[in-house]
Amino acid sequence: MDFTWDVDQQAFRATVREFLATHLPPDWEAMAHGPGSPSQTAFSKKFCAGLAQAGLLVPHWPERWGGRDADAWTAFILAEEMWEAGEPRGGQYMNVNWIGPTLMRCGTEEQQQRYIPPMARGETLWCQGFSEPEAGSDLASLRTRAEKHGDEYRINGQKIWTSYAGDADTCFLLARTSPGRDGISIFLLPMDTPGITVRQIPSVIGEGDIHEVFFDDVPVPASAMLGEEGKGWSVVRTALSLERVGIPRFALASRMLHRAVDGLKKAGRFGHGAVEQAARARAACEAARFYSYSIVDQRRHGLTIGPEASVARYATVMAERLVGEFVVEQAPEALAGADPLLLAHHQRAIVAGIASGAAEIQLNLIATEFLGLPREPR
Amino acid sequence: MDFRLTPDQESLVEAIDKLALQFQQKPTEFHGFALVGDDLERELDEGGYFDIAQVPELGPLAAALAVERLARLPFASEFALSMLVRPQLSIQVPRPLTIVENGRPARFLTTAKTVLVIEGDSVGIAHPSVDAVEPVESIYAYPMGRLTRTLDVERLSDADAANVRTWIRVALAAEASGLLKASLDSTVEHLTLRKQFGRPLGTFQALRHRMAECAVLVGGVRWLALKAAGTGDAGDAALAASHAQESATRIVYEVHQMFGAMGMTLEASLHLWTYRLKLLLSELGGRGGQAEAVAKYVFDKKE
Repeated sequence: MDFTWDVDQQAFRATVREFLATHLPPDWEAMAHGPGSPSQTAFSKKFCAGLAQAGLLVPHWPERWGGRDADAWTAFILAEEMWEAGEPRGGQYMNVNWIGPTLMRCGTEEQQQRYIPPMARGETLWCQGFSEPEAGSDLASLRTRAEKHGDEYRINGQKIWTSYAGDADTCFLLARTSPGRDGISIFLLPMDTPGITVRQIPSVIGEGDIHEVFFDDVPVPASAMLGEEGKGWSVVRTALSLERVGIPRFALASRMLHRAVDGLKKAGRFGHGAVEQAARARAACEAARFYSYSIVDQRRHGLTIGPEASVARYATVMAERLVGEFVVEQAPEALAGADPLLLAHHQRAIVAGIASGAAEIQLNLIATEFLGLPREPR
Repeated sequence: MDFRLTPDQESLVEAIDKLALQFQQKPTEFHGFALVGDDLERELDEGGYFDIAQVPELGPLAAALAVERLARLPFASEFALSMLVRPQLSIQVPRPLTIVENGRPARFLTTAKTVLVIEGDSVGIAHPSVDAVEPVESIYAYPMGRLTRTLDVERLSDADAANVRTWIRVALAAEASGLLKASLDSTVEHLTLRKQFGRPLGTFQALRHRMAECAVLVGGVRWLALKAAGTGDAGDAALAASHAQESATRIVYEVHQMFGAMGMTLEASLHLWTYRLKLLLSELGGRGGQAEAVAKYVFDKKE
């Protein structure tokens, strides 16, 4: 067991930090407020193209797809530094983390050739068409229909709380081709297809983040289906398990906690109550960090990831909550114009326990699969 | 970063596991608070386990793994301070060790050959004679004692004192990690077997979610304890001890609540872990004390 970074890992982190230092504009922190805003989306495209040119967008992807087969630690160090900086890749982090890898695993040659190279060049934004008004935590009950008409399908239905849909080029869409879990299929759907309407929903997360997406008899060729008809559920479960520790939220939470503490110290306000609360939050961030690292270590050694991914995810939710509470109680001015990145962090932190599977779903998984408690009656 | 155990660490964990198996069960006739593990202590001594931190291939990290595993046993023995703090002292001292903090009663004091005496900011070392200590009845699941007179204390330098505090924190976190794991496992078993309203308690979501949260905390304590043992860093140790005491505060309540009346009896084993944790909650100033250390060693340091 070794808790130190090796020379290559340290050098890679330094390279990423150097890139960030030279490529983030002076007004970046103000821009980070509004993760799906037009200004950040436009910046992210430029930024990701630069990352790609520097070999820092998809280093962990296979050489064939623009990567260099770097290991899981490289991917995670990159993710850590990006998230800690306020995620200048915007919604493209999803391409890097799970959409690209899922296409590599399940896509046809044609789908791969069409969609993966633009992702590797940092040119394209995707959205995930998962949640629906009646299918949030119970995602498998989704109702959006894909009905076959000859060589094509027609999509009808509605998605909601869809991040980045306003500017996305393509949707990773879950739709029902028949009843039940075995009736869910995945479609790779260009967002400029006639019949798609996107409406932004104002949110506490910031400008341009979540949307409603309506599908009104949207034609999609059969060749746009990812994997086999009716096999979408297992594909998406694997994808979501990648996503569970895909965002190193603890990194920004920890940085923001330190920033808030520094501010309090300067103002002579880091007294006893604040010290105890800050220590509790900082330890929770560190616990979340090492849970996530343990998943990365397992990936690095080719091990199958089990319910410990849910444990890692929940540890992160706990850490985000404690940091959020600390800022609200001890440094409330941060949410009222004093610090745009502290504000942006606070706005995004609300998502920690909700996106990619509610925290309570993770607790159920932990209870059954990690602790071995008997299942709840259904 | 590499979290696989080295072959030496794996061999040690296997050996400790094998040794621990003999002490896994509470004797059925025992209905007290402190189940003293004299035989366990003798076996550890004969096997040379108290010195594993000094073995270059093993080091403090392996010692922390051993402490965590041994603390899961129902028996209370002095191994945490011997394995993790004693090797860090600048002079060789005999074991068992204990900590007397601001004159309070201490675990293992009646058998300790070395006492770490903490008075406010100062840390010293003393070797009490038999007549300087006496046993004290308590509900802690450690054998407790108190001093009957003031000891001759050799005060440590500020640097040595800070180092000792760091390693006390590592020992505290490693021991708490094992105690928490055992109390969690015991409660999971109870919730699986005990039926009310016609079904196992563990099927009720009101309990499942709380247990799952406890499991997340317990694993976090283990990670932070191992990291602190691996780095020996004062900030890591402060975070580990802070997380251990914070988590234990909640989990001791939760596991007793879920065990219900059964957990109130001395026939059950739960208190053998939780009433050791209750003593560890007060160590080095408790949560407030650890928070001050986090402020000093983590927040005063630039990220």
